[in-house]
Amino acid sequence: MDIFLSAIFAGTSRGAIYALAALGLVLVWRGAGVVNFAQMGQAMFSTYIASTLIAQNYSYWIAFVVALISGGALGAIVDLLVMRPLSRKRSSSVLDSPAMRSTVPVIASLGILGVLQAGAGIIWAAEERGFPTPVNSLGLVINGKTMPFTAFDLFVMGTVFITLIATTYFFKGTGMGLAMRASALNPEVARLSGIRIGLVRTLSWVISGVASSLAGLLVTPSANLSPNTLDLILIIGFTAAVVGGLDSLLGSVVGGFALGLLVSFVNVYDAPEDIFLAILIVLLTVLIIRPQGILGSKEVRRV
Amino acid sequence: MLEIKDLVTEYGSVKALNGISLSAHEGKITTVIGANGAGKSTLLRTISALEHPRSGTITWKNHSIVGLSPEKIVRLGIAHVPEGHAVISQLSVEENIQMGALFRMRSNKADVRLAISEMYTLFPRLEERKKQLAGSLSGGERQMLAISRALVSRPSLLLLDEPSLGLAPLVVEQIIQTVNDLCRNTGLTVLLVEQNANTALGVADHGILLSLGTVAADLPAAQMKADVALRAAYLGY
Repeated sequence: MDIFLSAIFAGTSRGAIYALAALGLVLVWRGAGVVNFAQMGQAMFSTYIASTLIAQNYSYWIAFVVALISGGALGAIVDLLVMRPLSRKRSSSVLDSPAMRSTVPVIASLGILGVLQAGAGIIWAAEERGFPTPVNSLGLVINGKTMPFTAFDLFVMGTVFITLIATTYFFKGTGMGLAMRASALNPEVARLSGIRIGLVRTLSWVISGVASSLAGLLVTPSANLSPNTLDLILIIGFTAAVVGGLDSLLGSVVGGFALGLLVSFVNVYDAPEDIFLAILIVLLTVLIIRPQGILGSKEVRRV
Repeated sequence: MLEIKDLVTEYGSVKALNGISLSAHEGKITTVIGANGAGKSTLLRTISALEHPRSGTITWKNHSIVGLSPEKIVRLGIAHVPEGHAVISQLSVEENIQMGALFRMRSNKADVRLAISEMYTLFPRLEERKKQLAGSLSGGERQMLAISRALVSRPSLLLLDEPSLGLAPLVVEQIIQTVNDLCRNTGLTVLLVEQNANTALGVADHGILLSLGTVAADLPAAQMKADVALRAAYLGY
């Protein structure tokens, strides 16, 4: 029973981080129509920046805030330096077909991931570093009994919860959120409505960059920091986003928690080597039974 | 009001517009008719900057608007309802309408609210369905929504591309009549592209006949409607 409970708690805490990673992917997908494989590369980069600050004796919270800001800035840089020029180039070249239009940014994002990982390797010598937690990461003790979760776990879950509420409100309840959804769904009608889609897209890269670097900061304490640390999170986060329905914020969070529990149970009851197999099975099952994901919206049929 | 001179727009090596000159007069409906591929949609798309002209001038209220972005042109009071009932199906009816007014939400919130409620008065069916996704609407309702999306920006010129496409005659009649009322009651200038020449010439003040990217005739609507030879030559009936 104790093993079961601790698997649940470990899974929930992991799931919260996967949920954040998935949220970051969904934000750029909904805001800019791009599946961004460079996302966790950006997060890794900003976590290195935080780690460098901490090594120079700045407080955790200063490093935390600086990392979030640089995550957002990195998002803006990726958009302004790579994605925007690509979308300009398209109108007059071979790249102008629907298939290429959706593929080119994805390939570009893989390139950016490579550049970020190589860059981090050069700057920080690819050394593995530890990364601290802001709060105690020992099992919480309540009434003299040690619980199967830590204060850091609670911090992670709280952070994810707040991020979900804030982004959902932003998308559903604000004009900028509506502009963002409209730009991703139909850029032409959005522009004709007066929405500055360039600005809107850059903003969605910024928000996604912040969410992703948050995921990076929260996951690194348990994984050690190296240029490739976050690859696993990218794969799981991507699966979580697809399982949840790529266009649903809540879906991505549900998907994140579901995969967190899955990974945790495979770890405890089976063997860590089977994690990827289990993820693949879940991904395929969802894609076959419910291709639009758990909470994704179906293409609406016309009456 | 809107003056176009020697406009040329190309798709690759194909000249979709080959030196077009025309004007839309204030408070009037000007209709652009012609067969498929005559360049009607390209004309509207070039005015709203979705396509870039190779040469020629577009003058709006005495200022050239060539080279501006679509999002800027809406702000100058030109609203475009593109072909095919252009609404965003995954957004609700309400959101589609709001979308058209987002750019002036901060500067004039009260007027945006007023404009939105005017749309619901104009098309009561949209108010009944405002929480539904636009994708669940019928063809006629989508067209009403697309027009509302454009009108909430309070344009002085409305570019309307084939509103009758794929709609039942009764619905077409209703939509065209609404546009006509708007023009007569509020002084809205309309540039109406139609393949359905009879319906369009029935409400328009002025008719422009396009053929293969050039202006084949530019006449008062009533005169164009009566010209049997012209219609037989270019429209086939």
